[in-house]
Amino acid sequence: MLQQGAEKAQIGRVARARPRFGPQARQEERAFYLFISPWLIGFIIFWAGPIVASLVLSFTDWNLLSEPKWIGFANYSKMATDKFFSIALVNTLYYGIGSVLLGVTVAFLLALLLNQKVYGQAMFRTIFYLPSVVSGIAVALLWLNIFNPDFGLLNQLLRQMGVENPPGWLVSTQWAMPALIMMSVWGAGGSMVIYLAGLQSIPEHLYEAASIDGAGRWTKFWVITVPMMSPVIFFNLITGFIGSLQAFVQILVMTDGGPANATLVYGLYLYRNAFRLFQMGYASALSWALFVVIILITVIQFALAGRWVYYEGESPGGAQ
Amino acid sequence: MAYSNEEELARELVRRRLNRRQIIAIGLRLGLGATSLGALLAACGQAAPAANNAAPTPPPPTAAPAAAPAPTQATSLYDPNDSANGPWPTNAVGDPASKVEISVAHAWDATFFERQKQFDTLFMQRHPNIVVKAENTPWGDFRQKYLAQAAGGALPDLFYIHFSWAQDLIKNGTVLPLDDFIAKEKDFNIDDFTKPSLPGYKRDGKLWVIPYDEGPGILYYNKDIFDKAGVKYPDDTWTLDTFKETVGKLTSGEGQSKIFGFSGTPTPGDSLLAPPYLTPFGAEYLDEKEAQYLLNKPEGVKTMEWWMEFRTKLNAVPSPAEQQALNQANINAFQVGRVAMTLDGSWATPGIVQNANFKWDVAAWPKGPVKHATFSAGSGYGIAKTSKNVDAAWIYLNEYLSSAGQIYMWGTTGRGSPSRNSAWPSYLGSKFAPANAKVIQDSLNNLDTTGKLYFSTTPRVTQEATPIWDLVVAGQLSVKDAIDQIGTAIEPIIAENRA
Repeated sequence: MLQQGAEKAQIGRVARARPRFGPQARQEERAFYLFISPWLIGFIIFWAGPIVASLVLSFTDWNLLSEPKWIGFANYSKMATDKFFSIALVNTLYYGIGSVLLGVTVAFLLALLLNQKVYGQAMFRTIFYLPSVVSGIAVALLWLNIFNPDFGLLNQLLRQMGVENPPGWLVSTQWAMPALIMMSVWGAGGSMVIYLAGLQSIPEHLYEAASIDGAGRWTKFWVITVPMMSPVIFFNLITGFIGSLQAFVQILVMTDGGPANATLVYGLYLYRNAFRLFQMGYASALSWALFVVIILITVIQFALAGRWVYYEGESPGGAQ
Repeated sequence: MAYSNEEELARELVRRRLNRRQIIAIGLRLGLGATSLGALLAACGQAAPAANNAAPTPPPPTAAPAAAPAPTQATSLYDPNDSANGPWPTNAVGDPASKVEISVAHAWDATFFERQKQFDTLFMQRHPNIVVKAENTPWGDFRQKYLAQAAGGALPDLFYIHFSWAQDLIKNGTVLPLDDFIAKEKDFNIDDFTKPSLPGYKRDGKLWVIPYDEGPGILYYNKDIFDKAGVKYPDDTWTLDTFKETVGKLTSGEGQSKIFGFSGTPTPGDSLLAPPYLTPFGAEYLDEKEAQYLLNKPEGVKTMEWWMEFRTKLNAVPSPAEQQALNQANINAFQVGRVAMTLDGSWATPGIVQNANFKWDVAAWPKGPVKHATFSAGSGYGIAKTSKNVDAAWIYLNEYLSSAGQIYMWGTTGRGSPSRNSAWPSYLGSKFAPANAKVIQDSLNNLDTTGKLYFSTTPRVTQEATPIWDLVVAGQLSVKDAIDQIGTAIEPIIAENRA
């Protein structure tokens, strides 16, 4: 029995042994590791290390000046009673849902328009894409001017349209968040390009067949375009929501969470704890809680995707 | 008009708000060489043609020794030999036998960092075995940078400390107590320090940080606006009632050309709220130990309501929308002539000298019915506990913040508000100081400056108070309700100070 066991183990070792490569293959292998090593080293030092460290720190009380003190789950339980945490979470979900729904809709509509075969198509595409490459701070400063209640472009327009008391936008507790959501559409050009690629990959024969069957434009849009584009819409929903939950820079510049915490989003509250209050342990716990929230929302989105996302070659519901 | 040197010429050019090209043209017409031209541009706050412009230092979030934005330059506004001969104090600690290097972290603007380099050069000449490595970081980034270094155990030997950070650093054992060093120095004379400058740096009966400045809040006023309105300038007889009445008179216009009588209303989100705004009326924010909330007393509520009338009745301060417009244009409303009066620290004078295109002056903050009070604030330097060259660091600190050191750095340069009384005459006599600088010294010495918040709980207190007060400013909450809500929110935080 023992001998048989030893033989099996030997066979197993042989089976798991690395295949023998020739000198050229080994040279290629070395070159492969050499070329990916900068990224790998960078990832380990600048990403993996801090990620692991932040997980450990989330169980500590640490203000950078003294040694981290292990406090178990206290930072996580503190969130349950921290009113700023709930304000930030609610504001972030409000911003996330608002900006993603608006962003996805606008980007999709833009893509539909720019998919038309018209003169100057490439120029229009470039123009609509351009805003998404402008830096966050520049966009924030631009929109600060647009939203200014007294001399901003938006309120001047509203006044010309007969609105006597236009909103205070960023200085109003009611309008500050809707204003930020409106502003988020500014970057729709990025999603628009993805939608354009998706629209161009829809086989033309589907529309031809529908036309032969007597389908009008609207019917073709609902029964061909939308189902065929559903994986792209789903992708944009997922990535857009993850991005919007991490919104930070522009809100920091434009409102710093005000007025009266009306725009205090999660990323901003995390930053305040880390770099204004220097509560690094709590800030780390907040970042991991955000990670869990993002995962949960993403899982829910994937769970619901089977009901409306259509992948070519699959029957509805995902069964072959 | 004859100018004896580039500095005087520079002051005149700055007053005339000439641009860089015009300054170069004048310099060339006067036959100045490249070096002199560079010095002239530097003196005017302009970079020499070959130098790189540094980004302007953003103003600190609370009253801090901020200076006017200044470009990077290779030449200095200041004469390195001016006040260079001391007398420098003796050192009880002997110089190192062999070369040691000490690192010193500052938060200066580029112009003043040149003066710092001049001081360091002279220091190294006096102490050949001590090499000073000076680091300079913009004020806005300083705390974040050096706390990260503290976490990594890599703090410089000596570093800048703002009053609002001091207690946190002391409590966490980041800096060394300095009493033993001071006790050995026969020239140190702790009694020379201005009275308001020291308390913020003491804990457990020890002194941990040595202040370099402590400046009072003073009233800056735009003479042109006063003249236009036919109103008398502020003087010693002014009370806060006179002030309020005048603010109303000086407010005029509409829209983007509106002139505001005063710069803003006070907020409990400001750690310097109490001394200028509450104390004059006999009200308080927190008690001395910052452990008990006192703003909810009847006099506190009444006082804050009185100040809010500047907004609600007089309409004499920028509304949130107007303030947003001023902020986004990175405009200091007083410096561009949109505000008739503002309360600011004495450290704001270099920026106003450089930027104001109108006649202005300073006056003492007016007295209230109960007290004559204003805030004071400052900064200092401490020795890191992790320093490996403590003796050399002390020798540097002892000379840097000695009377001679302060005269060299903050007196003759007109930066002002030195923490030592003996350095004030040099500041008052400096050609760079405002003409009426005596008001600054008198305010510091004669007015009640107690009551600012400086405990480590302050950032959390202001985080709670600010959004609640936003609702008062927006007209959505009464002063009384807001004060009660702030009390409820900050009670658990300030309770930590009872321990």
